[in-house]
Amino acid sequence: MPKRFNITLCDGPSCMHKNSKEIVAAIEAQLKKHELSDHVGINLSGCLGMCARGPVMIINPGYSIYGDFTEKDIPEIIEQHIKKNKPIARFIIDEDHLYNRFFRVFGDVNFFGKQMRIALRNCGIIDPENIDDYISLRGYEALAKVLTDIAPEKVIGQIKKSGLRGRGGAGFPTGIKWELTAREKSDEKFVICNADEGDPGAFMDRSAIEGDPHTIVEGMAIAGYAIGAQKGIVYIRAEYPLAVKRIKKAIADARKEGFLGQNILGTGFSFDIEVRLGAGAFVCGEETALMLSIEGHRGMPRPRPPFPSVSGLFGRPTLINNVETLANIPVIILDGAQWFSSLGTEKSKGTKVFALAGKIKNTGLVEVPMGTTLRQIIYNIGGGIPGDKQFKAVQTGGPSGGCLSEEYLDTKIDYESLAAAGSIMGSGGMIVIDEDSCMVNIAKFFLEFTQNESCGKCTPCREGTKRMLEILTRITEGKGSQEDIDKLLRLGNMIKKASLCGLGQSAPNPVLSTIKNFRAEYEEHVRDKRCRAGVCRHLLVYEITDKCVGCSACKKACPAEAISGALKQKHLIDVNKCVKCGACFKICKFGAIKKS
Amino acid sequence: MKPLEIIRKKRAEAINRIIAKGYLSSKRVYVGMATCEIAAGSKEVMEVFQDAVKSGLSDVYLSQKGCAGRCNLEPTVEVVEEGRIPLKYGLVTKEKAKEIIERHLKKGEVIKEWLIK
Repeated sequence: MPKRFNITLCDGPSCMHKNSKEIVAAIEAQLKKHELSDHVGINLSGCLGMCARGPVMIINPGYSIYGDFTEKDIPEIIEQHIKKNKPIARFIIDEDHLYNRFFRVFGDVNFFGKQMRIALRNCGIIDPENIDDYISLRGYEALAKVLTDIAPEKVIGQIKKSGLRGRGGAGFPTGIKWELTAREKSDEKFVICNADEGDPGAFMDRSAIEGDPHTIVEGMAIAGYAIGAQKGIVYIRAEYPLAVKRIKKAIADARKEGFLGQNILGTGFSFDIEVRLGAGAFVCGEETALMLSIEGHRGMPRPRPPFPSVSGLFGRPTLINNVETLANIPVIILDGAQWFSSLGTEKSKGTKVFALAGKIKNTGLVEVPMGTTLRQIIYNIGGGIPGDKQFKAVQTGGPSGGCLSEEYLDTKIDYESLAAAGSIMGSGGMIVIDEDSCMVNIAKFFLEFTQNESCGKCTPCREGTKRMLEILTRITEGKGSQEDIDKLLRLGNMIKKASLCGLGQSAPNPVLSTIKNFRAEYEEHVRDKRCRAGVCRHLLVYEITDKCVGCSACKKACPAEAISGALKQKHLIDVNKCVKCGACFKICKFGAIKKS
Repeated sequence: MKPLEIIRKKRAEAINRIIAKGYLSSKRVYVGMATCEIAAGSKEVMEVFQDAVKSGLSDVYLSQKGCAGRCNLEPTVEVVEEGRIPLKYGLVTKEKAKEIIERHLKKGEVIKEWLIK
């Protein structure tokens, strides 16, 4: 039967030190005593963000947050709350936080219970197309609050104090970006929301906009007020039709309610937002290229300075923030900069959303406090690798990121630690790779993407990535040499140093990091002409074993006529004629064909 | 009126409108309707629930929602009842939706094999 109650105990670093193991044991003992064990679920969460009141636990239904108790109080809590359904007021923390609202609905499921949702706080619990749903959960209160009694420079001060950094990848401090744009004098300024999410396998921004578009609208309006802008633009790719529809509806509804437009809430502040569609070029996620694209030019990066804060869209001071960055703003205003900065690591505050994909049991969106380890995300939340396969690597940061091997699993997630390990935070793609994947092939896949998306403006990126891809192709076809590996390293480092924009500066990362962490696989490809994962087609050898009954199905399937043999006799593959298409392997019903 | 007072008034109005739409029904049903959920077939699932409401299923508040982020169990459907832990169904199909309506929404029987754990 479904449980009647669920107890979620905070297992964040601070609460853990306050004897959470003993508390769990005490809860279990009391439940047993009252014969309630079958009716109550217990799970451990990640940090719940109430460290000062720890230990902390949430009892659902009802979302009662208990704090400042000890294991001695457990008998009373179980007796009163669970048995008699009477929550004990003196332990209950009465705070109406914006974050973790979704805990009421999803907290008892391990995958969700271990997360901390700030940017995605409303995703999956409200109707995104109904502004009433958003307003009912304190939506637009942060905007009203700053308009009521927080001066623009104080808003910027709070964002600075929160320690929020850009979630698009580079991690520039958001408050400083706001301050730099606010400082410029101009009759016109812009706020741009960068929703040009282009990493293969990443869907954080799409989900955020589709699940809770009003938070972006509210975040942009607050930014506009803080920096003195009257106009906002959401730059979103046309491949996201539903997200486009929902953000457009949110803007129209917000305008109707008086949260956008002229004289917002009677304060004299005016701000409006329009939506611009991107055609899907990856480079248009780069801020200078993005602005050119809005202006109607071909999207190509330009050198900085001047930075957008000084001379951005149409030469005006412009603030560009990513979707996830903006989604954090209302929470910082309402739950407080101090609270926000208590989450995370020394230099990276708050949470980060990851799109967990690849060879992992629980694929999905994961938002966790900075400082959570890769191992916690992959094993505790993601549930590990399916089918008893071995973990091989985790790729963070999309095509611009790196592949980290097992020894890096305990790396804490923040901008600096991931960079030190040889990868990047990026916008939040996280792809888990198991033993069945070939690292050379993975590197080639990502480089194919960036090479394709290179805008062609600067030579190192345009020519360099092309040459690197040729070398990688050669290696996967068994035509590589030892020299090629060194050439890849030399070219990669040069492209990183000499490219104009982030695309070129990071494109070699997948190749460089796989050579660093999986060099043995590259060497097997060039020296032994062997692909241990059996992925690189040209390096495979197909053989017919004694299991063959001579049905000749493979012979008929072979497009290269490489298989010979009489009916009812063992067949043979001519390795010189074989094109390694795998047709024989697929058609054989007797498992007689061996791939190695 | 100060903006904070205006927003408080607007919130009260918004809550009233939601209640007028039946929010206080004994069961609330949320169907995932993000791109990913729709790709997994949630539009058909939503239609089943909408048809049921049209043909007389009462005391149920039906709403769409965004993606909660549990990709490989989509489409997802939540049944929320006041005072109980919300139940979350995964991999819901048209057929499963019909059964959820018949067994859970009408008779109060939880189909535990389909719950997300």
